[in-house]
Amino acid sequence: MSTTAWLTTLQFAGVNALFALAIYASLWTGVLSLAPVFFGAVSAFTFGYLAGAIGLSPALGLLLGVALGAALGAATAGLIIRLDSHYLAMATIAMVLIGRVLVLNLTEYTGGASGTLVPGDLGTWVWLIGTLVVAGYVMSRLAGSRFGLAADAVREDPAVAQTLAISPRQIQFVGFILSGALGGAAGVFQSSFLQYIGPDTFYTHLGFVTLAAVVLGGAFHWAGPIVGAIAFTILPELLREPMGEYDRVVTGVALVLIIIYMPRGLVDVRRLRLLRDRTRRRPGDRREDVTPAGAPAGAEASS
Amino acid sequence: MTATDSESRGVQTAPVAVDISHLTKTFGGLAAVDDVTISVPERRIHGILGPNGAGKTTVLNMVSGFVSADAGRIDVFGEDVTRMKPFQIARRGVARTYQNIRLFPGMTVLETVIAGAYLQRSSTILGAILLSPAERRERREMRDRAAELLEKVGVRADHGTLAETLSYGDQRRVEIARALATNPRVLLLDEPTAGMNDVESEAVGLLLRELRDLGLTLILIEHNMRLVEEFCESVSVMNSGAVLAQGEPTWCLEQDDVKEAYFGKRSDAARIATLRRARRGPGGA
Ligand SMILES: Nc1ncnc2c1ncn2[C@@H]1O[C@H](COP(=O)(O)OP(=O)(O)O)[C@@H](O)[C@H]1O
Ligand SMILES: [Mg+2]
Repeated sequence: MSTTAWLTTLQFAGVNALFALAIYASLWTGVLSLAPVFFGAVSAFTFGYLAGAIGLSPALGLLLGVALGAALGAATAGLIIRLDSHYLAMATIAMVLIGRVLVLNLTEYTGGASGTLVPGDLGTWVWLIGTLVVAGYVMSRLAGSRFGLAADAVREDPAVAQTLAISPRQIQFVGFILSGALGGAAGVFQSSFLQYIGPDTFYTHLGFVTLAAVVLGGAFHWAGPIVGAIAFTILPELLREPMGEYDRVVTGVALVLIIIYMPRGLVDVRRLRLLRDRTRRRPGDRREDVTPAGAPAGAEASS
Repeated sequence: MTATDSESRGVQTAPVAVDISHLTKTFGGLAAVDDVTISVPERRIHGILGPNGAGKTTVLNMVSGFVSADAGRIDVFGEDVTRMKPFQIARRGVARTYQNIRLFPGMTVLETVIAGAYLQRSSTILGAILLSPAERRERREMRDRAAELLEKVGVRADHGTLAETLSYGDQRRVEIARALATNPRVLLLDEPTAGMNDVESEAVGLLLRELRDLGLTLILIEHNMRLVEEFCESVSVMNSGAVLAQGEPTWCLEQDDVKEAYFGKRSDAARIATLRRARRGPGGA
């Protein structure tokens, strides 16, 4: 592969990482949602239309994408968050399908079947990496925050989370807003890199590829989706030359293997913690409620 | 005899914390809880006893909102919570632990307890992102408070270990700490000493008494009779969904139908009563 082809691949890996983070944001709160693809589509077409009509600076375009995505996330959550898990997931898939219909029919704004051109001045490394760094920073700050621990709790056991006075719906609502903001940003970047968007740009394929990236990378830590998106965008390219048409088979097999042997993905903090606990405990005592060998006998009496 | 024993038999002076009346729950034709009425005054350690399948857990499940009641009513501090969602009941000061331990997979001991302090925190999303001074202070306070609670309940394991890898005893203690982190007024404990030895069980009993003295109301399901008699001020004995006897523990356990429910035939009951007395002997006053 040529250097420019590699650079293009890496750029899409970055955009996919943003989409994957958007999907992660709601998975974090226990909601499987492909809605970020829809949020991305709305932001991208709005960005394309406004850039053509009134002209938008890159910063303003990105800000618009984030704000629009967040607002859509809130509106979507308000409408569908009452649904039970599977139906909620299906509703978000329906949104992706509806998005395509809208693009095809709002010809005046979207260009319909022939699509529309988008300025590419946001499609630079500086903007992309800058945005990814900011997104990663925000997610890392939220992990372990009041919201982050509540989100972990809601995902792991919503019933128990409720008895800790946490309202799962409220947490999931915030998750959708985060997901919307990230999806909106991702959509604007996608359109800026492609410089052309059509009815198939933001469709089921994008949704499933990014969802696979989250599952592969790990849906239990914010770094998971980023690692997964980069790996899953680059892997098929690496395999294309030696494998020819079989690259997709290999990618599929890799995904299945990871799901079987690393069910929590490549970035698995729980596994790391288990390993650490095990190695830490090894010298001497088998269980932590047993007094460690060599500890003075009086140590127990103090408790 | 302690002062509280005579109090429990006399007129209830303390306001009622949890008032359960005519509570009923049916699972596919089986009356798991059948017209149960229990009233627990504030600052009381109340035990719910009964053989397996008696409906004890289902009562706690209804009080905490886990399971919805078919009929009857539950008031917490005078407020009807029967139709409330679990988080709304939790916000009214009810916390609980579980018979089958339910810790969050992947969370450390410290994180688990801090997760329980959700309502105690004022941190916002923006504050967390910008790492504001208030956020930093709150995180520090949370860590300190969680460590305090863990010390109080007697968890000595490293706070950075995964809670799910601890011994069952420690897992139960972490659950209690997580419940306490919500700053409850009522604590529901479902078999808190299951799998613990006598020394550990005694420590739990002492902890409950300490919490009661701090103003909490405790309702616990417990099979360890020695513990019940030592620490519970009142009990309700259940069997097949109904309350058989209610009141002062020793008196309740002397009732014939209670003995029968627990120990089957009366002849067995006499034998077991002797064993029980014998076991209470060493160390007990
Ligand atoms: N969620 C449920 N679905 C169906 N049956 C249940 C459920 N919870 C409890 N039961 C049944 O109700 C009865 C009482 O159970 P439980 O309250 O757990 O008893 P205890 O805690 O006293 O051992 C049992 O027969 C049990 O099988
Ligand atoms: Mg039970």
